[in-house]
Amino acid sequence: MGDVLEADGLLVGYVGTPVCGEVSLGLASGEVLAVVGFNGAGKSTVVRTLAGRQDPLAGDVRVHGLPVMPDAVEFRRQVAAVFDEDVFFPSLTVREHLLLVARGHSVSSPEEAVDAELKFFGIADRAHAVPDALSSGQRRRLLLAAGFIRPSSLLFLDEPEQRLDPVMRDALSRRIQGCADAGTTVVLVTHDPRLLVQTATACLVIDETVKPVSTERGAQIIAGA
Amino acid sequence: MRLARNVVSFTRRAARQYNRARSSTRDLFVDLYSNALAGACVVMIVASLVVALRGEIAARNIGGTTLVAAHWQVVPAGIVWMLLTYLALVGVVVLARRLGPVTVGQAEGAWWLPLPVDRRPMVLPSFLRRLVAVGAVASVAYVPFSLLTALDRSPWDHANSAVIFGGASIVAVIGAAALQLTSAAGALRATILLGLIPVAVLPFLGFSMWPLILVLSLAAVLLAYVVPRVGDVRGVELQRGGAVSGHAAASIFFIDMNELRRSLVAAPSTRVSRRGSRYYGRPTRRPLTAVIRADVVAFLRLQPPPTAALVWLGLCVSITLITPALPVFLQLTVTLIAGCLVTAGTGTIARRTAVIPELDALLPVSPVLVRCSRMIMPASAMAAWMGALTGTLVVLGAGTPFLVLLGVLAGLGMGAGAARAATRPATDWTTPPVETPFGSVPRDQVSSLLRGTDMTVLSMAPLLLTLYLDTVHPWLLLAQITASITAITVQASTPSAR
Repeated sequence: MGDVLEADGLLVGYVGTPVCGEVSLGLASGEVLAVVGFNGAGKSTVVRTLAGRQDPLAGDVRVHGLPVMPDAVEFRRQVAAVFDEDVFFPSLTVREHLLLVARGHSVSSPEEAVDAELKFFGIADRAHAVPDALSSGQRRRLLLAAGFIRPSSLLFLDEPEQRLDPVMRDALSRRIQGCADAGTTVVLVTHDPRLLVQTATACLVIDETVKPVSTERGAQIIAGA
Repeated sequence: MRLARNVVSFTRRAARQYNRARSSTRDLFVDLYSNALAGACVVMIVASLVVALRGEIAARNIGGTTLVAAHWQVVPAGIVWMLLTYLALVGVVVLARRLGPVTVGQAEGAWWLPLPVDRRPMVLPSFLRRLVAVGAVASVAYVPFSLLTALDRSPWDHANSAVIFGGASIVAVIGAAALQLTSAAGALRATILLGLIPVAVLPFLGFSMWPLILVLSLAAVLLAYVVPRVGDVRGVELQRGGAVSGHAAASIFFIDMNELRRSLVAAPSTRVSRRGSRYYGRPTRRPLTAVIRADVVAFLRLQPPPTAALVWLGLCVSITLITPALPVFLQLTVTLIAGCLVTAGTGTIARRTAVIPELDALLPVSPVLVRCSRMIMPASAMAAWMGALTGTLVVLGAGTPFLVLLGVLAGLGMGAGAARAATRPATDWTTPPVETPFGSVPRDQVSSLLRGTDMTVLSMAPLLLTLYLDTVHPWLLLAQITASITAITVQASTPSAR
């Protein structure tokens, strides 16, 4: 079993009803797990539960050997998550949002870090705009930038390719690989076979029975083959 | 801690700069002026009403005309006022718990909570501001109550009582915050509700500093317990409270009473209710029967417990038992207000279905019949409530047993009022506003707000008149039948506005 994220007999769902089969997994430092499955299979529910955003119906999840405690400071320091939550401060600009995260996570040289992320995600020219003035794709880039600007040992990404153009998807793929190379463990829900093949070291198919498959097989499942 | 403070001050500073850039001194002046004007109008109206009522109460004829036989009036007025004060404090606890009281907004939840810092500086300032606001509003709101229930007191006594009640409300809100700190809150909730009983007595102890000192000391002790721990409130709980508060505030801003009720109603139970399963499972071939069964079962499963309805029933009865007797006008007013509020409470299911009218449109049943079906359970519930109320009043010596018949008929009409209120249109903000003494209000807002209440009041009018006259005239029975049929017909024939 891995030492960063472990799940044993994890059952997830709503109102006491599981949405998919039991999940058991173990991820070591630097691994990238792609979670795939059809719409409604329960991928996001699994990842939200692993990230401590909702309580499991049964089973056990551990991060660095400790139970998931989303309100504990150390957990928040270690775990980053980018879900599809389009919520922003209406009065903060793009740059100020990223500065907030960078300073809150004690990033050294936050100004430079923000500039680098703005440049990487292609929103440097919108740095002084408020989120309401951004396009849907630009807001997605801002959320991703906020997820990557901070240090973390475990990163959850829920369909990060959503609303991104192909060029940005490729850049995102390189970024995820870079994170993994630096030792961050990544759990990635995706519907993009290319992103899966380029980044994932392991693949989990979510269905009535949850099973690990090769990344190539995962890509074929996404492509409908 | 310091890092968290920096994060908060950074966000606030940026927000201030942004807001300053978007608003002018002129806008600020206009806002201040219109709010002051509206506030002054409200104060004047309430003050004139209170003065008139004080005159009426002062001139009351003990043992004169009352709703029930005079020999039943055995409940000392002071006891009822203390009970009402206690219920108000319980209401503050329940409402504060629903709204938080320790919360973060949506954006704060998304951007602040994931940061690895102490959350106390993020939630404490807004919590303390809320406490001050609750204390001030509760004190001001208590003044009319004090003026009406204690005619012999001096202005200083009234002011003192009002401040004590404000302090007691702060205690109630801090109690609600303490409930947020624990997941097993049953015992703590019971302790808080019991602890509020002696607190509710304090405003009635006359002019003395020690009740005030006592309530402020209690608030300070509770605050000393809660303040160091506010950072420990779970993130999901902070966000839940913020979402409910935001929803409620937006509903008030848009003057949408249905939306306000939707925001404040408790979240649906996660436990699946099986109530009415056998009735629902019986075979049927007629679509209308299926619709009726769906509405009945939805009501049985989703309607909140009738606690509030029972409290209002008790209040309506106890207000008639007070000695010295209150003016009949006041007793009838309390009955009318209670009727309107309980009626609104039975519209929960209708309010929910009003949000998705497309579902009704899919049914192979006439819209008129769907609206009638949606009235069945509110009308039954209100008929039962009014039957219980009038039955009790008859036992206590009001009118004749025919009064119960009038009550049940009124309840049927009130149920129609509940369904009508649940489908009242949202405000049309696209049309030019109308100038009123309270400032500009959106066109058709008043008629929109009154929709539903109009039929409820109409349905209650013959019954209230009967109570006033203390006898059931045949023409009043006829008037009651007409009023209730009118209410039902109006609701059945009015298309949903949403």
